[in-house]
Amino acid sequence: MWVMLQTLNDEVPKYRDQISSPGLTVFPKPVTALEYSFSVSEPESYKGYIEDLKKFLTPYASEAQKNLKVCTDGALSEQKGPVYEACQFPLNLLEACSGENDPEFGYSQGHPCILVKMNRIIGLKPQGQPRIECTGNSKGENTTTLLAYPPEGNIDLKYFPYYGKKLHASYLQPLVAVQLNYTASSTPKEVTVECKIVGSKNLKNYDDRDKFLGRVAFKITMRA
Amino acid sequence: MGQKTPRIYSVELNGAKDMKQTDKGDGKDKYRGLQDNCLELRNNQRQEHLTKEIDLDDHKLSNKELETKYHTNIVTGLSSTQAAELLARDGPNALSPPKETPEIIKFLKQMVGGFSILLWAGAILCWIAYGIQYSSDKSSSLDNVYLGTVLALVVILTGIFAYYQEAKSTNIMASFSKMIPQQALVIRDSEKKIIPAEQLVVGDIVEIKGGDQIPADIRLLFAQGCKVDNSSLTGESEPQSRSCEFTHDDPLETKNIGFYSTTCLEGTATGMVINTGDRTIIGQIASLASGVGNEKTPIAIEIKHFVHIVAGVAISIGVLFFIIAVSMKYRVLDSIIFLIGIIVANVPEGLLATVTVTLSLTAKRMAKKNCLVKNLEAVETLGSTSIICSDKTGTLTQNRMTVAHLWFDNQIFMADTSEDQLKQTFDQSSGTWASLSKIIALCNRAEFRPGQERVPIMKRVVVGDASETALLKFSEVVLGDVMEIRKRNHKVAEIPFNSTNKFQLSIHKTDDPIDKRFLMVMKGAPEKVLEKCSTIMVNGQEQPLNNSTAEAFYTAYMELGGLGERVLGFCHLYLPADEFPETYSFDVDAMNFPMSDLCFVGLLSMIDPPRSTVPDAITKCRSAGIKVIMVTGDHPITAKAIAKSVGIISANSETVEDIAKRLNIAVEQVNKQDAKAAVVTGMELKDMSEDQLDEVLTSYPEIVFARTSPQQKLIIVEGCQRQDAVVAVTGDGVNDSPALKKADIGIAMGIAGSDAAKNAADMVLLDDNFASIVTGVEEGRLIFDNLKKTIAYTLTKNIAELCPFLIYIIVGVPLPLGTITILFIDLGTDIVPSIALAYEKAESDIMNRKPRHKKEDRLVNKPLAVYSYLHIGIMQSLGAFLVYFTVYAQEGFRPSTLINLRVEWEKDSVNNLEDSYGQEWTRYQRKYLEWTGYTAFFIGIMVQQIADLIIRKTRRNSIFQQGLFRNKVIWVGIASQIIIALILSYGLGSITALNFTMLRPQYWFVAVPHAILIWVYDEVRKLFIRLYPGSWWDKNMYY
Repeated sequence: MWVMLQTLNDEVPKYRDQISSPGLTVFPKPVTALEYSFSVSEPESYKGYIEDLKKFLTPYASEAQKNLKVCTDGALSEQKGPVYEACQFPLNLLEACSGENDPEFGYSQGHPCILVKMNRIIGLKPQGQPRIECTGNSKGENTTTLLAYPPEGNIDLKYFPYYGKKLHASYLQPLVAVQLNYTASSTPKEVTVECKIVGSKNLKNYDDRDKFLGRVAFKITMRA
Repeated sequence: MGQKTPRIYSVELNGAKDMKQTDKGDGKDKYRGLQDNCLELRNNQRQEHLTKEIDLDDHKLSNKELETKYHTNIVTGLSSTQAAELLARDGPNALSPPKETPEIIKFLKQMVGGFSILLWAGAILCWIAYGIQYSSDKSSSLDNVYLGTVLALVVILTGIFAYYQEAKSTNIMASFSKMIPQQALVIRDSEKKIIPAEQLVVGDIVEIKGGDQIPADIRLLFAQGCKVDNSSLTGESEPQSRSCEFTHDDPLETKNIGFYSTTCLEGTATGMVINTGDRTIIGQIASLASGVGNEKTPIAIEIKHFVHIVAGVAISIGVLFFIIAVSMKYRVLDSIIFLIGIIVANVPEGLLATVTVTLSLTAKRMAKKNCLVKNLEAVETLGSTSIICSDKTGTLTQNRMTVAHLWFDNQIFMADTSEDQLKQTFDQSSGTWASLSKIIALCNRAEFRPGQERVPIMKRVVVGDASETALLKFSEVVLGDVMEIRKRNHKVAEIPFNSTNKFQLSIHKTDDPIDKRFLMVMKGAPEKVLEKCSTIMVNGQEQPLNNSTAEAFYTAYMELGGLGERVLGFCHLYLPADEFPETYSFDVDAMNFPMSDLCFVGLLSMIDPPRSTVPDAITKCRSAGIKVIMVTGDHPITAKAIAKSVGIISANSETVEDIAKRLNIAVEQVNKQDAKAAVVTGMELKDMSEDQLDEVLTSYPEIVFARTSPQQKLIIVEGCQRQDAVVAVTGDGVNDSPALKKADIGIAMGIAGSDAAKNAADMVLLDDNFASIVTGVEEGRLIFDNLKKTIAYTLTKNIAELCPFLIYIIVGVPLPLGTITILFIDLGTDIVPSIALAYEKAESDIMNRKPRHKKEDRLVNKPLAVYSYLHIGIMQSLGAFLVYFTVYAQEGFRPSTLINLRVEWEKDSVNNLEDSYGQEWTRYQRKYLEWTGYTAFFIGIMVQQIADLIIRKTRRNSIFQQGLFRNKVIWVGIASQIIIALILSYGLGSITALNFTMLRPQYWFVAVPHAILIWVYDEVRKLFIRLYPGSWWDKNMYY
């Protein structure tokens, strides 16, 4: 056992074959399986979501990011070490969902923000221009507009590759925010959102068994 | 036998006597013995019924009274209508076969044995667990349902297999009993008719003649020279004369009753049927067998014991971890699921199948060696046998009279008595021999059936009685074509043997063309023959018979008689040509030829010789600590002689009587401690109390029971069982069936055995040979040892399968080994290897150790359980965990991260679980990794089970002493393990339903150092056992 542990690399696991493609996860973390439910008129009903988002975004505060590197857009930031630098992810990229202008992330106005991110995988280098594409599907005649920040849900390649917890301690994951705009007035407003990674050959967005591989689906119910 | 010493056999040469009737005795004791048994067993209702029935009084009635009682007529018989009515009322005149257990019951019985119960319990617990899970979470995994179903399937399939195996042996047996339907000559409607004996009814008048089997219990109305052989009923082998007079109050002793299934040897008789079918005496005795309970087989007891151990371990671990789980704040419902899971994980799923297959493999092997096993469990019973009660005739002996000794020229010569005697080697140069051989060849009525020229002499079929057959074969071997000799020496007159004359005589023209004299040859009871002689031939010369030659004759006669042999005297006389010219007409009724002053030529003695393999087999039994007791209906002298020649009584052992004779003191004065052997007769046995019998059985290592009735066998068996012995009994007669059933293992004779005996027995000896029993014992012992190994092998990995679950509960790591994966070990990779252990050769000479003690030498003992569970089992678990942790660590989850990860790991909503390196995993990615972990753990166990398999080859010897490659099947087993694992991991890697994934080749080798360690550890264990026998180590580490 000890011998086995000695053979382990502290920085990088030996194999990454089982996570060749990242999964997608959303924030705030829903209590029940991927269903958000709140009422605009009851701040208590979405307080948890807001806190979760705030907590999640703490490392992204400009204060925390100030030591990070400003990287060139659109290119992989491959590094050779021994010190690995992380790229800044300015919160303002998330615009209305950054929480900077609206500490309630749109929930109080009925335009809730959901953050979508790709799972971290060491050494992953996306090809092409990955972006997260979300589609909303609501019941009845209701139509929903989905706004994505950064625009079109783009994920900049400069945030890749990831070099692991130990070497790349200050690494910040790129995020994509989705904001919902309900147009109809009937309540409760219910919408199912499906997001998936597109635009990159080596990032799968469909797997028979794994519903989170490169995609994620969630439901938002907004009561009056 | 002490009163008229020395007692010598008289000669019986008459009729169609078969080998069972070698001697003569006082038959009445037998009957008494039978009745006493009936009285002794009176508490049994059936027996009470029997004694009552025996009080039948038909023998006391006059013919007239009988006619009234049975509404029949002695002259005209019954009318056909009457007979048909009676047949409808009483049913056919046949012994109803023992109640056949319905096939479905037999089948179901296979499914509820000791082991099966364990598996059923497991299956039900699984379903209960699923029920609990389902009630709290509708989407819970179906693993428990699968597991329960598989457990149930294992029981059912194994049951079908065992049922099929036993049905197969039963079929083989059935093929033996192709009985020719018996016919009876009956008077009905004033006509003589031949009808099947089955249709006889009470009141029928039947006629019987010599050679017939008596078709029902009959009251004799007319008899002429009628003799019957009652041996099948009483064990008494001496022919009994029968007449129509009422001679005794007791129906069994009176002369005017003939019993169903006994044989009429000679004469003719007419009788009225008084009992048919099961109401006959023999029918009632046969039904006794069903009143004797079948004993539980030792292996069944062992398996029950084993089930108790497994259940005990399972429940204690289960409860312990239930308490731990509850105190760790698991939900009670979850804890119950854990409890059930732990209990079920302890069930060795594959063992039932393995044990059944192993037993049937051995059964097959035994069948090849002529032991047909009816009940699979009996395979092992034979191995634990500590006393064998064996018949003599046919089992220990060849069941064939053979010339054993000759006496002529004042010298005793020994003849070859082996089964396939090709030539006789004694000195044949003397002139006396020339004369003697001629008498032997000529004074003989037996003939070979024609058309057997190519058959070896000893195997040819002969028409004639046993003694004549022996003489014919003997002379055929020595002289060549006897038929041709007889043709050349034309027979002109003959007096056949009869019991009043006790001699046989014939007169021949000789083949010497010059010598025109007739040759008269005679053989018979030696003293009768000698009476008629005045001269004796010595070295080819006639000498007057004087006192000293007569003395020599008597000495030889005694000596041969003392060997238990049947002695015949031979004499001849050349009739003077002047008195008996060629044209002389001999008249055997007028006896117009001399009957005195003959010339005595020699003696010849015959015996039913022991089978040549028997002495070896007895020696083997002795070194194997098995006591062989001979139980025979024969005369004590013959019994003792055969016992001595086969070694049941060893060369230097003496009976009390021997010592008395040697020291010339009274039998009572002999110190009984000095005697090692004892010959107990049925008479003596009858007068013994249970305690006295126990004393005889314990104080003499060598015992022969002679002149015993089949009923007394039961008493002897019970006596042996009181000594805590596992008793094997051989038998063939209907009357043996109670003893066969009572015995721990009843062995019926395949050739000589009756259907009733075969039905009551657990095993059938296809060749009736005692030596086959010994091979059976050897196989039985081997299977016990090998079953131990199989169980040890199986139990070991049980721990390796259980630990993951325990660690999962306590430490909270992702589940290392799934239920389905466990099934693939238990019912997949491990099956062939555990069966392969059945092919393992014995470690040391298993026939040199004592039979195992029923209550001390258990199949699964403490050292076995402790060593398997706690030593090798734990080592194996560690090895498998190493593979598991390696896989997880190399994929990103270090052991430290895994601890207490369980809850997060299993949450479906967590799709970004972080590993030790900051990578995030979706639920499915984790699941896949978990399956890889299962596969890794599986491979880890598999690799170490190879080592486990190798170390289980021996329990004491080093593997290198045993030979690594001697048992090829082990390697087949290892290959099967590897191949199944390869298929599961690579062939079915994509079928996720089975929870197997492709595993990197290098992970296959992670557990190899552990496997080697296991091997080395076990070698050290065995080394210390060998170095320090009897030490603490030996006692606690040898299983």
